[in-house]
Amino acid sequence: MAWMRLTGYADKFGVHPGDTIRFYVNCDGPKSYDAQLVKMINGDTNPRGPGLIERKRRASLNGSYKGRRQVIHSGSYGCVEDNSQLRVQSFTLQCWVWPTTPKTHPKYWKHGAQGLVTKWHRNRGYGLFINEDGCAELRINGKKVTTGAPLRDHAWHFLAATYNAETGQAILYHEPQVVYALDPVIRPAKEKIAGPVRHDGSPAVIAGYTGAHSDDPTAQSSVPAGIIINGHYNGKIDGPRICNRALSREEIETMKLGAQRGMTERRNSGPTGALSETIVAAWDFSDGINTIVGKDHGPYLLDAQIVNCPTRAMTGHNFSGNNFDWKHAPQEYGAIHFHDDDVDDARWEVDFEWTVPANYESDSYCVKLTTDEGDEDYIPFFVVPRPGEEQAKIAVMMPTISYMAYANEHLANNAGGAELLVYRVPIMQHQNMFLAEHREYGGSIYDTHTDGSGLCLSSRLRPILSIRPQYDHFLMQAPWQYPADLHLIYWLNQLGYKYDVITDEDVNYDGLARLENYNVVITGSHPEHNSGPQLDAIHDYTQRGGRFMYMGADGFYWIHSYHPAYDHLGRGIVTEMRRCESGIRTWRADPGEYYHQSTGELGGMWRYRGRYLHSVAGTGMSSEGFDISSYYSRTPESNDPRVSWAYEGIGYDEKIGNFGLVGGGAAGTELDIVDTLLGSPPHTLITATSAGRHTEGYLLVMEDFGFNQQGLDGTQHPRVRSDIAYHETPNGGGCFAFSSIAFCGSLPWNNGDPEKNNISRLVKNVLDRFSQDGPLPPPPRSAIKHRGRADYDPPLNKKRK
Amino acid sequence: MIRIPPKGSPDRDRLIEEHKACIESMKGVAGCSILRCATPGDTTEISGGIHEDFQLNRVLLRMRAQPAKGKLVVVCTKIEKEWRIARCSGIRGVPPEFVSDKVYDNEQDPQHDIFLMRLDEFPETDGFPEHFHQGWKRRDDNWAAS
Repeated sequence: MAWMRLTGYADKFGVHPGDTIRFYVNCDGPKSYDAQLVKMINGDTNPRGPGLIERKRRASLNGSYKGRRQVIHSGSYGCVEDNSQLRVQSFTLQCWVWPTTPKTHPKYWKHGAQGLVTKWHRNRGYGLFINEDGCAELRINGKKVTTGAPLRDHAWHFLAATYNAETGQAILYHEPQVVYALDPVIRPAKEKIAGPVRHDGSPAVIAGYTGAHSDDPTAQSSVPAGIIINGHYNGKIDGPRICNRALSREEIETMKLGAQRGMTERRNSGPTGALSETIVAAWDFSDGINTIVGKDHGPYLLDAQIVNCPTRAMTGHNFSGNNFDWKHAPQEYGAIHFHDDDVDDARWEVDFEWTVPANYESDSYCVKLTTDEGDEDYIPFFVVPRPGEEQAKIAVMMPTISYMAYANEHLANNAGGAELLVYRVPIMQHQNMFLAEHREYGGSIYDTHTDGSGLCLSSRLRPILSIRPQYDHFLMQAPWQYPADLHLIYWLNQLGYKYDVITDEDVNYDGLARLENYNVVITGSHPEHNSGPQLDAIHDYTQRGGRFMYMGADGFYWIHSYHPAYDHLGRGIVTEMRRCESGIRTWRADPGEYYHQSTGELGGMWRYRGRYLHSVAGTGMSSEGFDISSYYSRTPESNDPRVSWAYEGIGYDEKIGNFGLVGGGAAGTELDIVDTLLGSPPHTLITATSAGRHTEGYLLVMEDFGFNQQGLDGTQHPRVRSDIAYHETPNGGGCFAFSSIAFCGSLPWNNGDPEKNNISRLVKNVLDRFSQDGPLPPPPRSAIKHRGRADYDPPLNKKRK
Repeated sequence: MIRIPPKGSPDRDRLIEEHKACIESMKGVAGCSILRCATPGDTTEISGGIHEDFQLNRVLLRMRAQPAKGKLVVVCTKIEKEWRIARCSGIRGVPPEFVSDKVYDNEQDPQHDIFLMRLDEFPETDGFPEHFHQGWKRRDDNWAAS
């Protein structure tokens, strides 16, 4: 069953008026499709809400286009184009490997032999492989030599293969680094194979082999164009070498040291001059970790193009456990972990483009793609004003890094634990079904790769089917991230607010300039993933009198960085994140692999770099649960004149938000609380809370407790709650934190009418005050006083002290 | 360990009845929990279900904790209109397959049918010591973990 025959992406998330945005479409079957620009107002099809709302816009891109199939060639590898040095007759191949799937299930999506170091294509050439049975294998033309010993997965092995063209002697060495008591001895496999080695124009490939040279148009999106790489390897490779004669075992041992050119009595002590003369290539992946080049330290400088962004800054075979930062011990980080589902860029042909007219209205847009046969897809993007050309006093900051983190997420299908997490059976949508089959579209940073290792890099140059209207996420049976943020866009439109749209990318690259001309900046429902420059800009903004409305929860949680190697393709192409010592982790980084390959910064939670989540907007994540949502009650602090204006029109005893399109209430999914010991400013007011109203499905976050214990769920633990909080910032600024991801899902209820929806009333009161010109009215003089964090200790604690 | 109550037992009948009542009351909620809404489709007041029936709570946990291979899921086949039940392959690249032609007109009813299917599929002693198998050496046990 074809779940999606139309898919597409754009080259930008945000485009300036006057700039051009390009669109790439796969139309797999239908002869043609139509494209129509729409303003995307609401993407939630829930019958209890306003339904899908899109408004057609005139644009030069609108029209019918010829359909064509475009495919993604996923799977990472290193590649060096054919050259005379690689066309050896006698040779030695060697490398360290740490395979993760040496043997795969026959139905596995890329079942078969995996290439390690190859220049091989259809029984021509040579190469070191892992064969279908999981054993090391040397191929010379159509002949194969294997030890017959399967490689243990998740273990370092040294592999080497030699071939002497004059004698026909081929030898394959497989030497596991760790040998257990009952492991059989693996002896070198030796065979006589007649030469010569036949060559064609295929490239040398690390972590794959040449599958085909193809004239098919879909092969153009492969690298090199027209050459399809097959046999993608899953696992780490460290120190691959090619030499041009059959080395002895002793020489192979020396060659582990790699090329050390320019040896003198005072420097280098690698292979001797005579041995060095045999080197064709000696790649050192510890060089250029933040690049997509595999540096060759050999004499011919055969640098490998690293395709599809595998994971670097990975511990090598010689990791000592003493250094955890690759910048301080690069020699221990000579491994690249390749995956057969890595993808950095779909590399499709452009189907159409649109130059956004000058002064075009900043807003949320989609190109809607349809066919006569009922196919449909949307490509979302935002028109973003340049700094200095703002069109409104209100900015909505779309959390595009978070969209990328969740891009093409597979949990409902992959993870047995997903059902425990959501406390009901997950519901998959057609996008999930398509992705379950089309692994080449890549996963999210919540997923594990097809080999089970953590996925820490996400590209936006591919169709991202989770960033779609009409997409309900399994976590809530409701919109999540992009479509959930459209609840806010709908509400702003419904109440007639004029707003600009900006993205995480804009703030990351341009800093305060993207924020300072707005009276108020509004976040999305779940701005969880953030770069340092972005958080700095938000801090600068709020400290200079800016007003900040944090519309969700679990924000400002994970450290992200954009990969600099993709800057030439645009801003924010590939984002990186590592799941380190704590936090909600669907996978966990391995020891020594906490530092980003992109920037070299320590990954993980901002909390563990001293930037508490609560310090950004006043509240920070404390719990999560995904079955159903609840509601808020006002607290006595909501009557404080510093904030009582926010509750005008809302009775003290009203149930606030006991309705909504995400879990049925405003307080749900992931919840934030005030904690003055974790960064909430000491003058933060808790104006409403959902304390005591959550289900057993809600659990305290693990970073908030030190050992497992009973009593952590929503029916018991007092920190399982959401606090709606307010605090003033210097120079007439302020932060309002609504502290629940489900919160925005209540805005469209009763068409957002503030008379019939107290969430809408509350947000309107806040936005009306925050969007006015000039500083906010000062608080009463009595509010200016010294406050210690200990002031918030419960009376019982004080008594004890 | 909590036994999966066998066919015909009063416990099983009680669990089925409570589960069904919860599911009925959740219709209209953009989410779902095995709890009873005092007003159908409205989560303001909730009770019963997993919060009050210990056995239902534990039996559901066992069912939810199964690894991905062979696990039942719901698939939305027409947005807001049709849903079907499918079974995960546990193999990357092999999508879930539908278990029957039955089409549901709401997203909550399949939750109950999956509960009934699992009651039939699970042995009474699921997860008891006699179920130990070699897979327990390597995360292939019968309790999924993230």
